[in-house]
Amino acid sequence: MKEDKNQVVGSENMNGGQARGKNHEDLDFLAQMGESDSLADKLKILARQNKLAAFSAVILILIFLAAVFAPVVAPCDHLAQSLTDRLQDPSAAHLLGTDELGRDVLSRIIFGARISLTIGLVPTLISMAIGTVLGLCAGFYGGKTDFIIMRLADVMLAFPSLLLAMVVMYTMGGGLINIFIALSLVNWAGTARIVRAQTLSLKEKEFVEAAKSIGVKKWTIMFRHILPNCLPSLIVLFTLNIPSAILSEASLSFLGIGAQPPSASWGLMAVRGKKYLFSEPWLSIAPSAAIMIVVMAFNFLGDGLRDVLDPYLKEQ
Amino acid sequence: MEKSVLRLFYQIVCLLWKNAEGRLFFVLNRVLKRIVISVPVLIGVVLAIFIMLRIVPGDPVTTMMGEHVNPAVIEKISREMGLDQPVIVQFFKYVFNALRGDFGTSYRLNRNVTQIILDAFPNTVRLSLMAAAVAWLIGIVAGVVAAVRQNKLLDRMFMGCALMGVSMPVFMTALILQYVFAFKLKWFPVSGYDSWKAMVLPAIALGWNSAGSIARMTRSNLVEIMQNDFIRTARAKGLMEKGVILKHALKNAMLPVVTMMALQFSSMLSGAVLTESVFGVPGIGRLAVNGIETRDMPLLQGTVVFTTILIIAGNLIADLLYNVLDPRIREGA
Amino acid sequence: MKRRMGLVLAGTLAFSLALSGCGGSKGDGTGSESSAVQAGTGETTGASQADSGVDTAGFMMDVLNADIQTADVQKTSKDYTVPTNIYDRLVEIEVDDQGTSKIVPSLAEDWDISGDGLEYTFHLRQGVKFQNGNDFTAEDVVYTFNRLLTVQGGVNTELLDQVKGAAELIEGSADTLEGVEAVDDYTVKVTLKEPFAAFLSCLTAPGLSIYDSEATEAAGDQFGMDPAVTVGTGPFKFAGWTFNDQLVLEKNEDYWKGAPELPGVVIKIIPDTETQTMMFESGELDLIDLDFVTDAADRFLETYPDQIVQGPRVGITYFTMNFNIEPFQDVKVRQAVQMAIDRQAILDALYGGRGQVEHGIYPFGLIGFNDGKNKISYDPEGAKALLTEAGYGSGFTMELAADASASDTVTMALEIIKEQLAEAGIHAEIKNYDESTWLETRKAGELGSFMSTWTADFNDPENFIYTFFGNEEKTRIRSINYPDTAVMSRVSKARGIVNEDERLAEYQALEEKLIHEDAAWVPMYSRMHLWAVSKRVQNFKPVWSGVSDRMYYGVSLSE
Repeated sequence: MKEDKNQVVGSENMNGGQARGKNHEDLDFLAQMGESDSLADKLKILARQNKLAAFSAVILILIFLAAVFAPVVAPCDHLAQSLTDRLQDPSAAHLLGTDELGRDVLSRIIFGARISLTIGLVPTLISMAIGTVLGLCAGFYGGKTDFIIMRLADVMLAFPSLLLAMVVMYTMGGGLINIFIALSLVNWAGTARIVRAQTLSLKEKEFVEAAKSIGVKKWTIMFRHILPNCLPSLIVLFTLNIPSAILSEASLSFLGIGAQPPSASWGLMAVRGKKYLFSEPWLSIAPSAAIMIVVMAFNFLGDGLRDVLDPYLKEQ
Repeated sequence: MEKSVLRLFYQIVCLLWKNAEGRLFFVLNRVLKRIVISVPVLIGVVLAIFIMLRIVPGDPVTTMMGEHVNPAVIEKISREMGLDQPVIVQFFKYVFNALRGDFGTSYRLNRNVTQIILDAFPNTVRLSLMAAAVAWLIGIVAGVVAAVRQNKLLDRMFMGCALMGVSMPVFMTALILQYVFAFKLKWFPVSGYDSWKAMVLPAIALGWNSAGSIARMTRSNLVEIMQNDFIRTARAKGLMEKGVILKHALKNAMLPVVTMMALQFSSMLSGAVLTESVFGVPGIGRLAVNGIETRDMPLLQGTVVFTTILIIAGNLIADLLYNVLDPRIREGA
Repeated sequence: MKRRMGLVLAGTLAFSLALSGCGGSKGDGTGSESSAVQAGTGETTGASQADSGVDTAGFMMDVLNADIQTADVQKTSKDYTVPTNIYDRLVEIEVDDQGTSKIVPSLAEDWDISGDGLEYTFHLRQGVKFQNGNDFTAEDVVYTFNRLLTVQGGVNTELLDQVKGAAELIEGSADTLEGVEAVDDYTVKVTLKEPFAAFLSCLTAPGLSIYDSEATEAAGDQFGMDPAVTVGTGPFKFAGWTFNDQLVLEKNEDYWKGAPELPGVVIKIIPDTETQTMMFESGELDLIDLDFVTDAADRFLETYPDQIVQGPRVGITYFTMNFNIEPFQDVKVRQAVQMAIDRQAILDALYGGRGQVEHGIYPFGLIGFNDGKNKISYDPEGAKALLTEAGYGSGFTMELAADASASDTVTMALEIIKEQLAEAGIHAEIKNYDESTWLETRKAGELGSFMSTWTADFNDPENFIYTFFGNEEKTRIRSINYPDTAVMSRVSKARGIVNEDERLAEYQALEEKLIHEDAAWVPMYSRMHLWAVSKRVQNFKPVWSGVSDRMYYGVSLSE
C-alpha cells in the first residue's frame, strides 16, 4: 500500500504548461515533446549523478546482447553432451566447468539468459499491460467499473503471490507458457492500483479538462494524454518487477513446477546444480550469481530511475 | 546492540500511542469499514482458488489412488468426498464449513485440514517473527547508513548488502547460510526448529529477503525528511548530526516503515515455503508443498485460504497503523 | 505516560514471546500434549524432542525426504518403512551371503501345501502378543486378509487376488473371503482359486502385514494415522508422528524374537537432500539413504569408505516403446532402439557405474535372473542398418515422456538417451507431463516412450513379467500395448505351474521371446542400493529387495 507512496503521488507537475494548445494534435505534439525532452534530460542526470545505476544499465545491456547473440557469444554448443567430460572443474576450455551431462556451463548460462530474461520480461509486460489498462479504466471511469476492478485487484493482492503461482502451475502443469500465465496473473494488480491513483489525480488536470472540452474521445484521452504521464512510474515499476519474476521462477523451479528441462532457466540450473554444492559448487553458484547480478542491476537501475523520474523525490 | 533495538522499538510504540490518543473513534470506524470490505475480498479469494483447483486436469481421485484401484472404488470415494455434486454446491458447502472453521478432510492424511494447519501454524509464526526482526535489523541499519551517506560509497555498499538477500533465490541463500554457519563453522544446527538456535539461520534466510525493501524505504524516507525545515532548524541549533538523525528524523521516517511490517507478512509467508523446505521446519509453507506434491486438494485449498486470511488481516493492520500514524490521512478520511 | 509505554512495550514483547513459545506444542492427530521447547538440538545425535511423551534420547536418527501418508500398509504402495518395523508377516524372506533367498517362518511357524498347489495350511506361532497385549490368533489373519480387500482406500488388493473368493469380495457379491478360514485358534487354511507358485513369496510383501482384529476395527480410519491405536506384533512400536517433522519408533520390550537392541528410532522428515547430507556429516543423522542423494554417493564413498552399506536394489529400470505408436509396430525399429542406447554410459554417468546393465525382465538378485542369456549390445551402426532395413533410414521422430515429478536423474537419463538416439538418426523430443497427466496418459495406453523402474514387491519373476505382460490390460496400462495374446496367456498360465524348475524354465523362455525376439522393451540396468551409516551404527543391513525401507531389528548402536 503505502510503499507505493512515492509512485502514487506521481508526476503531477511534469506537464504544467502543456495544456494551452487549442486543438488536440497540438496538445499531443506538446505532450510528446515535453515528455521525451524531460525523459532524456533526466536520464542524463541519472547517468551523471548515479554511477551505480548507470553501471547497472550497462551490465544489463551487455547481458541482453549476450542473450540475443548467444550462438555467437557462447564458446560451446550449450546442448552438446559429453559424458566423458562431466563435472569438470573450470578450465581454459570450459571457463565455468561442465555440468552433470558434460555440457559447458558458461554456454548454458549465456543461453539460459534468453530463457530467464524472457521469463522476466514477458510476464512483466503482460501483467503491466493488463494492470495499466485496468488501472486507467478504473481511474478514468470511476463508479462501478472502478469498484469492480479494484475489488478484483484486492483479491489478487490478498493472495500470497508464490502460493498463487504454485496453484496456477499445479492447475496447468509446468512449462514456459504456463509460467508466463502464472506470473502475469500474480502481478497485474499492483500496477493497476498505481495507474489508477495517478489517473485519478491527472484527470482533474486542466489539459485533460481541455481535451475533454474540445470533444476528444475518452480512449484517446486515456491513452494519449494520461498514459504518457504515468510512464515514469511505469518504467520504475517495470525495472523492479522484472527481477521479482525471475526470482519467482527460480522458486517454482525449486519446487519442481517451474521451467522444465531441457530448456534451462538460471533458476532450474541452480536447482539442479545445488546437488553438487559440495564437490562442484560452480554448478549452482554460477547461475545463482547470474540471477543475483541481473536482479541487483535491475534494482539499482530502478532505484536510480525513481530518484530522477519521480518528482516527489527529485526535489532533494 | 539489543539495547538500542529495544530503545527504537520503545520509541515506535510511544509514537504509536501518542498518535492514537484521542483518535479512537476514528480508528474504530476505519476498522469496521475495512473489515466489511474484507469480507467480499475473502469470498472472492475462496471462489478463485476453488475454481482454479476444480479445473485441474484429471480426476483427483484417480490421481490420488495411483494405478491400483478399480473404477467402482474410485466412484465410491468420489461420492464420499462429495465430488459428484455440482461445483456450486460444493462451493457453498465449503464456504459454510469454512466459516465454522472446518476446511474439510485431507485426502491423503485423512485428517482434519484445520487441525493440520493449526499444528503447523505456530512454527511458521515463530519463523516469521524472528525473520521480521532480522529484516528490520538489516533493513533499518542499512537504510539509515545509506541515507546519512547518500550517494556515497557506504550508501551503495549498505544498500547492496541489504539487496543481496532479495537478489538470490531464497533456496540458495538458505543453502549457503547452512553450509557456512552450520556445516563449516558449526555455530548452529543444520536443521530443526525446536530451539532459538536452530531458528536463527532460517530466520536470516527469510528475513534478509525482506530487508531490501525496508532498507530502501527507510533510506528514501530519511532522505526526504532530512530536507525538512525542522531538521534544518535542529541542525542550525548546533545539535550533533548523529543526534539529529536519531532523535528527529528517524522517528518520523519510521512511521511508514512501521506499516510495512504487516505488509511484509505476505512475502514472508511466500518465502517461508522454500525456507521451511530447506531447513525442515514443519510449517504452513510445507503444507502447501505437500498439497501440491500429493495432489491433496483440501489441504492445498485450506492452506491457501488460511494464508490469505492472514494476509488480509496483515493488510488491515498495516492500513490502520498508517491511518493512526500519518496525520495527513486523518483529515482526508 | 512514559511508564505506561513501558508496560505496553513489555506486554508486546511478552506476547511475541508467548507466540514463540507456542511453537513447542504440536498435535499429532491425537491432540497429544504439548511439550516444552528444548534448547540445544544438534549437539549430538539423538534426543531432539519428544512429542508423544517418549524420551528419544539415545535413539537412532534416520531420515526420509517426504513424510508418509499412513502407517496402514494396506493403504499405501510405497510408505513401507514404518510398517515393516511395527508389524510382522506370516513368513519372511531371508537372503544369505551368497545372495540366495529362502522363505523363513515368522508369525507362521510351519506350513503345508497340498499336492495340487491349491491349499496352504499355516500353523501359527503361539504366545505372540500384539503391542496392546492382545494375543495373536488365526482370527487376526482372517481379519487382515478380509480387510486388505475391502478397506476404503486399499491399494494392495492384487496381493491376494489369487485367493478363492477375492474377486467376489471386492465386487461385493460376497461378505467374506471364501478362501481364508481359521481352522482353530492357531491354524489358518488358505485356498487359492488356481495354483499360484509365487504365493508364499507374495506373503512376505509388506502389504500383507498382520493386524490385530480388535484394535484395528476399533481404530477405524485412525488406524495408521494415530500412533496410539496403530499396533502390530513387530519389534518396534509406533510411538509418535509429528507431520512433516518426525516419526518415532520405540522398541517393543516384549517382542517374540527378543527385544531389539535399539531403544528406538527417530525418522526425521527433511525434503532437501543437501540438508540431509549436511546433517549426516554434522552427526545429526545415523543413517542416510544414498538413493535420495545419488549425486553425493561418489563423495561419500571417498569420504566414508568404511561407513557404506550396500545391497542390490532388486528392480529393473526399463525404457518402453509403445506398440500403438508409429513406427514401433516394426520389430526392427524396436531392436534398433535397443541397440542405440548406451546403457553402460548412462549407468556410469548417473550412478557412478554402481549396478549392472540388464538384458531381460528379471533383474540381478531376483529368482529367475539369468546371467547366461543373450546380451543386447550397444551398436549405433547396427541400429542404423536395422532402421534402413525397416525403411527408416532417414530417421523418425519419437516422444520421450518425462514425468515432472520424477527425480532429476531420470530426467537426465532421458536427456542422454535423446542424444544417443540422435546418433542413430532418431529424433527424440522430450515432452514434459505433470504427474497426473503422465499417469492418466500412461494408464490409457497412449504415452510415448518413458523410462521407469520396477522394484520387486516379493522375490519372484511373476512379480515382474505378469505386471507388464500378464494380459492385454496390464500391458496397456503401462503404455506398452504388446499385441501377442498367445505369449501373454503363456505368462498368465506360468503362474500356475507347480513344478518349480518347469516354471522357471518357462519364465526364462518367455523373457527370451519378449525381450530378444520381440524387443518389447529396452532393459536398462539394475542398481546397487547404497547407505551411509554413522560410526556408531552396527549391523545395519538393507532389506533384501532394496526398496527404500529399513529393517531396524538387529541394528545396534555402539557407545
